[in-house]
Amino acid sequence: MTTLLQHPGYEEGRLQKVAELLPCREVQAGMLLSLMGEPQQYSYPSIFIYGHRASGKSHVMHVLLKELELPHATVSCVECVSVVLLFEHVLRSFFGSDAASLLPCSPSLSDFVRVYRQQCSQSPAKETRYIVMEKAELLRDTDANVLPALLRLQELVEDNVTVILLSEIVWDKFRPNTGCFEPLVLNFPDYSKGELQQILSRDRHPSYSAEFYSSYINILLGVFYSVCRDLRELRHLAALNFSKFCEPVEEGKVKETDTHKLWRNIEPHLKKAMQTVYLREVSSLQWEQMQQMEEKETGILRGLSAHTHVELPYYSKFLLIAAYLASYNPARTDKRFFLKHHGKIRKTNFLKKNEKTSNHLLGPKPFPLDRLLAIFYSVVDSRVAPTASIFSQISSLVTLQLLAQVSHDDQLDAPKYKCAVSMDFICAISRTVNFDIVKYLYDFL
Amino acid sequence: TPRLATPSIPSRTLPARQPTNVLEEARTRLHVSSVPESLPCREQEFQDIYSFVESKIIDGTGGCMYISGVPGTGKTATVHEVMRCLERATDMDEIPPFRFIEINGMKMTDPHQSYVQILQKLTGQKATADHAAALLEKRFSNPAPRKETTVLLVDELDLLWTRKQNVMYNLFDWPTRRHARLVVLTIANTMDLPERIMINRVASRLGLTRMSFQPYSFKQLQQIIMSRLNKVKAFEEDALQLVSRKVAALSGDARRCLDICRRATEICEHSAADPSAKGLVGMSHVMEALNEMFSSAYITAIKCASVQEQLFLRALIAEFRRLGLEEATFQQVFVQHQALCRVEGLQPVSVSESLAVCQRLGACRLLLLEPSRLGVLQRVRLNISQDDVLFALKAD
Repeated sequence: MTTLLQHPGYEEGRLQKVAELLPCREVQAGMLLSLMGEPQQYSYPSIFIYGHRASGKSHVMHVLLKELELPHATVSCVECVSVVLLFEHVLRSFFGSDAASLLPCSPSLSDFVRVYRQQCSQSPAKETRYIVMEKAELLRDTDANVLPALLRLQELVEDNVTVILLSEIVWDKFRPNTGCFEPLVLNFPDYSKGELQQILSRDRHPSYSAEFYSSYINILLGVFYSVCRDLRELRHLAALNFSKFCEPVEEGKVKETDTHKLWRNIEPHLKKAMQTVYLREVSSLQWEQMQQMEEKETGILRGLSAHTHVELPYYSKFLLIAAYLASYNPARTDKRFFLKHHGKIRKTNFLKKNEKTSNHLLGPKPFPLDRLLAIFYSVVDSRVAPTASIFSQISSLVTLQLLAQVSHDDQLDAPKYKCAVSMDFICAISRTVNFDIVKYLYDFL
Repeated sequence: TPRLATPSIPSRTLPARQPTNVLEEARTRLHVSSVPESLPCREQEFQDIYSFVESKIIDGTGGCMYISGVPGTGKTATVHEVMRCLERATDMDEIPPFRFIEINGMKMTDPHQSYVQILQKLTGQKATADHAAALLEKRFSNPAPRKETTVLLVDELDLLWTRKQNVMYNLFDWPTRRHARLVVLTIANTMDLPERIMINRVASRLGLTRMSFQPYSFKQLQQIIMSRLNKVKAFEEDALQLVSRKVAALSGDARRCLDICRRATEICEHSAADPSAKGLVGMSHVMEALNEMFSSAYITAIKCASVQEQLFLRALIAEFRRLGLEEATFQQVFVQHQALCRVEGLQPVSVSESLAVCQRLGACRLLLLEPSRLGVLQRVRLNISQDDVLFALKAD
């Protein structure tokens, strides 16, 4: 708390409390306060605040408006699937629920402005009213007139109202093509490592000393800072792993001051956490349970992505293999792979000049149904009749999203497909039917 | 505010001011809404329409007429004049009485509303569109002993187009009924409208009675203004000739001509040093008014643009020259923009500033842009010709 917030319009004590609640955001809060001015003064019509996720945009606005007891309406644009909800919410929080009921069903923007002005003439603003729009990037997808109207709402309703837009996207990508009133653009920079340390150290465990928790945060940041600067994520990880960190101290093996031993104990644990909990392979609950079970080593539990095994019928597996081969092999190599007497042709003979990169890097290519069936008959050893069940298996593979149909123009005539499964998946499938798929892939020749 | 309020122009509390001097007098006479005593230069068309409608009224039959011509050639004014004369004739008992009804395609929210309006003007009944169509159908197809002829004027016909064209079909089909006694006069801008948008059974019912209004020549325009002014001496001869020649060369639009004359009187009034002694409207005033009306706003906009906006336009043209295309992505133009800034010795612009400049130019339609959420990948095109931009940038 080096710089205290100072502003003539507000009480000293409240500003003190605000400053305590907003660590490392004194500069931004001070800037916002000076923009907002004294409560009865007119503020700027619209302010646009952007910054990365968890850089304290909503928090700063919330604390400022709440602690200074300014009239405000906080609207999340995710919740407002239609603008009606937005209008109702704003009217309700400024003028009470009666005002919201004055809106006609399916109100337009002009209805909102009309009701607002009507209400405003009855109860004029003594203090600046604030409308805070969170996730404002979604406003671009609503009606084209909503964003420009909100930006100059002060002018439209002739009231002391300020609209504050919060977003993770820069203002350049908001501007409507027909132009609009330019808001004041403010940036919230990312927290530095020191600031993260300072903020995370605040929520320490009461039964341990502050230095102990601070050294834990230091270790945590040492592991995670290179991959994650998201305050929320880091705080979650800190809460999850703290019990493991203080285990040796509880057992009495190590003293609180013995940082090196504590580090030796927790570091592999945190490394494992990065691969499991951080990627949400293992849920937080499972992770806590695993920590309680001493003998069971963490990470033995298979994560979400390990459950890629799918039970398929016999021919469906071959159909999928054939689709994979058709997607990742060039069509002109089919003869060499799937005909019996093809002669010996080396890969260099097939290589075209522009085909240096691997097909697996470029992604799957579409193929027609005929080619799929031709490869299918050649990879299946037995004789298969082209019955209705084979064709229905193809379409059910499409519904399972293992195949993807491209170009929806003709469903029956000559449909084209793409194979939408990964290399690991298809290797597992081909192992179950004893088929060596790598031998047939052009990239691995 | 009450529900179902009809929007209207507030009525005037004070009476309109009487013109006090010659120029004001001229201005009221030149106003488009002031009805002239006669329509000069349209005598032939007037005669044709008059005899067409008159013969139908006297015979008690029906028919259609299609009137076309570019805007401002006096189509609607002539038809109204015909109607006035016919009404005068009925008052003198020269021809049997008739009803005149006017609908305008532009004034309707939906083509089917025309049924409602016709029915309301004919009988005062209010009905839904379908019901009104049925009532009108019955009215026009059944014989009635004491029915008078109805003259229906349909202005802006092209807006009555629907996918099935049933509104147009009905409008042209009713006059062909034996007992309808309906004369339909239709007005639109293009000469080949029946061939272009109407299906065959509609176009054939419209028939071949067509008339096209030619644009006014400069002599006619001069005559129109002279007749409007009617001995009020406010203009120099040469000034009038210049206006009419300019307008005739461009469009032959009489309304445009009147607008320019009125603007010239205003300029004359402002430029007079002594407010009491106002002279005639001279050549210089007319020239100024013409320049105001005809000069391109784009070039003025570019000339008044900020330094960075002008630089951006220059960068855009440089990029077009380099690519040999009429389109470039923003990031390509941005590279040129920065290079130009360096050449000019200015502080290099950031991407955000340059984007703001670009989107501002796009907002005043000097550029054609894609949605701004594409960021630096949005493609930029000029909305005006490169020569215009170069001319505007070079002029200063």
